[in-house]
Amino acid sequence: MNIDLHEKKIPIIKIRDFLIVSIQVDMHDKLAIQLQSQILEEIEKTGAKGVLIDISVLEMVDSFIGRMLSGMASMAAIMDAAVVIVGMQPSVAITLVELGLEMPGVDTALNMEKGIEMLEERLSNYNTL
Amino acid sequence: MSEKIVFEKAKERIEHIEDVLSSVAAGDLDVRIEAEIEDDLTGVEEAINILIEDLTYELKQSKKMREELEEKLSKIEDQQKTIIRQQDDLLELSSPVSKVWDNILILPVIGTLDSQRAQIMMENLLQKIVDTGCTMSILDITGVPTVDTQVANHLLKTVTSARLLGADCIISGISPAIAQTIVHLGIDLSVIKTKATLQDAMIYAMRKNNQLTHGKIKSDHLSETEETE
Amino acid sequence: MNEISFDNNWEQLGKYPIVTEHDIVKIRQLVRHHAKEARMGIVEQTRITTAVSELFRNMFNYAEGGDVLIERGNIDGKNALIVTCIDQGPGIEDLELAMSDGYTSGMGMGYGLPGTKRLVDRFEIQSEKDKGTIVRVMKWR
Repeated sequence: MNIDLHEKKIPIIKIRDFLIVSIQVDMHDKLAIQLQSQILEEIEKTGAKGVLIDISVLEMVDSFIGRMLSGMASMAAIMDAAVVIVGMQPSVAITLVELGLEMPGVDTALNMEKGIEMLEERLSNYNTL
Repeated sequence: MSEKIVFEKAKERIEHIEDVLSSVAAGDLDVRIEAEIEDDLTGVEEAINILIEDLTYELKQSKKMREELEEKLSKIEDQQKTIIRQQDDLLELSSPVSKVWDNILILPVIGTLDSQRAQIMMENLLQKIVDTGCTMSILDITGVPTVDTQVANHLLKTVTSARLLGADCIISGISPAIAQTIVHLGIDLSVIKTKATLQDAMIYAMRKNNQLTHGKIKSDHLSETEETE
Repeated sequence: MNEISFDNNWEQLGKYPIVTEHDIVKIRQLVRHHAKEARMGIVEQTRITTAVSELFRNMFNYAEGGDVLIERGNIDGKNALIVTCIDQGPGIEDLELAMSDGYTSGMGMGYGLPGTKRLVDRFEIQSEKDKGTIVRVMKWR
């Protein structure tokens, strides 16, 4: 069985106005907290207006990671950046709802393409202001 | 014959009877008491032999019956397995999700919804959403006779899970009776989009679809003209 | 309340200590592996893995860790995966309150035990103040 426990940072890629984060490992708590501050710092540094967090390979999201993600969305929002959680697996969604974490106020998208569309639309509304 | 010899002989015969009886008790039904002399004891010996015969017959009968029962039982078990398998198949079959329009899925639910069926239905719908990439789905409950707290909770769970995936789920086919029960039970369905008929839901989904793809249509058009140049 | 018994003829699949955050990740992956071996569906696998992750984290946060026992056994004719978490932590004073939705004793925000209970087929808990807590969860196909 392959258990990946290497202490490596999760890469954050900037494309145009967006940050793209793809979570590929089963995160332990410290790594999750570290990722949260890493993303916030990157928002500040780059002035990104949107963050796409791809969790399509995550086989489980427990209450800790769930709260990290929804906390992330609220924190980014007050820094004027929108967070979209992309590609959650059906089994993960069902489990989160049963656990009682319905993550209200967190934007979600079926795939990266739809997530980018969502952010672009938001940004075009933002630019007309 | 002296009395002593008669006594010894009788003792021997009684011991023989004891031996035979303990053999029978141990399961050997082929042994019989062999009568050598005819006297008062002979009656007892014969009676015991008859008893052993009867016992042998009874045991054979009950063994036969047990075998028949076991055979029947295994047959019933096989049938039960078939029934369970067919029920599972039926569960799978009874929640067909179809794509009816660009970006729109429909799941018509017909019949009583129990926990297990609701579970399979939810999993099927969510998987289909991911597979097709459709962001609008309609769960039509026109064919569901009653909605109790459990069913309502399953519907809520399905809609909430779909939202976590990034898809909208509308519930249509809410009859007056179902609307009444839902409110009487104190179930809050205000957080989800409900429509009275499948037609209403379809119109809503297509309107929403147009809103969603409005920007995309423009950009698609733009890229097409670029290609022709 | 029923005492949690350790006198069962279940097959032990492993016993592991939870000491670090890495152990939480490592052992919940092991539990998923066993759930997969037991031919559970993907949703069932995710439920049991998430449930034990919650329990492991409780042990790590409130009891300075503990032990995890993974077993396989026959429960009411069903082939069940059984995970027992044993700690020598502060214990839970009011179990009834801890099992009611929305209650939390520490820095969490609720959804602890009641949420975990919803994810499994059987949930047993036993706790004594200053002695520790035992939680046993079972999942079958």
